[in-house]
Amino acid sequence: MIKLENVYKSFDHLEVLKNINLTVQKGEVVCIIGPSGSGKSTLLRSLNQLERITSGSVYIDNELVDERSNNKDISKISSKKISEVCSELGMVFQRFNLFPHMTVLENVMLSPMKIKKLSKQESMERALKLLHKVGLTDKKDEYPSKLSGGQQQRVAIARALAMEPKIMLFDEPTSALDPELVCEVLDVMKGLAKEGMTMLVVTHEMGFAREVADRVIFMDNGEILETDRPENIFNNPGHMRTKEFLSRIL
Amino acid sequence: MDERMVRVIGILIDSFFPLLKAGLMFTVPLTIISFFLGMIVAFTVAIIRVSNFKPLLAIVKFYVWIIRGTPLLVQLFIIFYGLPSIGLTLDAFVSAVIGFTLSVGAYGSETIRAAILSVPKGQWEAAHALGLSKSQTLLYIIIPQAIKVAIPPMANSFISLVKDTSLAAAITFTELFQVAQQITARTYEPLWLYIEAGSIYLIFCSVLTILQSRLEIKFGKSGD
Ligand SMILES: Nc1ncnc2c1ncn2[C@@H]1O[C@H](COP(=O)(O)OP(=O)(O)OP(=O)(O)O)[C@@H](O)[C@H]1O
Ligand SMILES: [Mg+2]
Repeated sequence: MIKLENVYKSFDHLEVLKNINLTVQKGEVVCIIGPSGSGKSTLLRSLNQLERITSGSVYIDNELVDERSNNKDISKISSKKISEVCSELGMVFQRFNLFPHMTVLENVMLSPMKIKKLSKQESMERALKLLHKVGLTDKKDEYPSKLSGGQQQRVAIARALAMEPKIMLFDEPTSALDPELVCEVLDVMKGLAKEGMTMLVVTHEMGFAREVADRVIFMDNGEILETDRPENIFNNPGHMRTKEFLSRIL
Repeated sequence: MDERMVRVIGILIDSFFPLLKAGLMFTVPLTIISFFLGMIVAFTVAIIRVSNFKPLLAIVKFYVWIIRGTPLLVQLFIIFYGLPSIGLTLDAFVSAVIGFTLSVGAYGSETIRAAILSVPKGQWEAAHALGLSKSQTLLYIIIPQAIKVAIPPMANSFISLVKDTSLAAAITFTELFQVAQQITARTYEPLWLYIEAGSIYLIFCSVLTILQSRLEIKFGKSGD
């Protein structure tokens, strides 16, 4: 579903991703953990090209979407093709990023209507179904500012699902939430995992990683230091840095 | 009451309707037309600048630089008195509309650009992640939010424009202030006539200020 080969990314002279190789299979839930600044967000964002990698190749759903060498695009893939493939990736942000001038329902309906060109009726049906799924049918006509953080994040998940993505990317979806609101978002994510959604989740919720992840990746300083089943990572980390990191946050 | 006072009051009453009429028939239309056209220019320039549209970027930057860096009165003189010498003669009204439109366009483009840039980066990112194109993002996500930010400063520049149109008197356009000058030339009562003209501007601007606060309440309500 996702494949990264020899991916490097620098901001000016700061190397943020170093030789990243990663494959995610269909239906897999992979959690990425690691200290702040280790490049977790950048890795996620280079999948849907919110960041452009410096070199390496990115495949989504077996299609090459970006191939670069020395910051030069050597794949020459049309931007239309790129947005097509990227629309198979749904993304959920730490700060929700809902559209504040639209109601909850309009937020979720927007992309089916404008990108998939569904009719208003079809888009609304799809949006209502998704809002039901995240338990927010009764909030459909509210503006985002009237919702709690947990509710906003669930709307953001519904909005991402409205494009019927094959893969969902989560970048610390619960980090901006009050502790008592974390659960409601994690529950929605667990539900998605159970349905077989392919998920790549950057998180500090070790309980979630332990319970839901098929694999956990530990990143440090722009590198993937290890990747393993959660029980191995948590109980028996193979790397000193992993052990240090886990002992600091658990 | 002394005789002079009676004379002045007579002049003020006689001139009130000609002044108000000049205001309503010339100042107001000049303001509205220039502002409307100016907003179109401002929007276009702002979009070119934020979308970094290379072919036109240098041209619009040059335009904003010239307009903001030279006095409006000088611009009006160049258009009205200067252009005829290269064979382009425009009447006073058209010259004034062009001058004010260019001015509103240049200053307005900066306001709109700032409003667009004030929309958080996360909005662009969320739209990109959903698969919206750059122009769809501008149209559905960024501009609706930017307009809210831009309305108060744009309303202020509309009110300023009402007053700035008095500069058109200098290129022979018979708007409110020009009429006041004509009556003064006949009656030799500059103090009272210019105060009267100023009062009519004050009435116009006060009405607009009331409308402005209504507008801001209306646009401040929905959303955040
Ligand atoms: N647009 C940018 N310009 C310059 N440097 C950047 C930019 N974005 C990220 N960085 C730097 O890249 C490094 C990795 O950032 P990234 O956000 O990927 O880390 P992270 O693992 O997600 O951290 P966190 O847990 O704090 O979210 C950091 O040192 C950060 O300062
Ligand atoms: Mg991050």
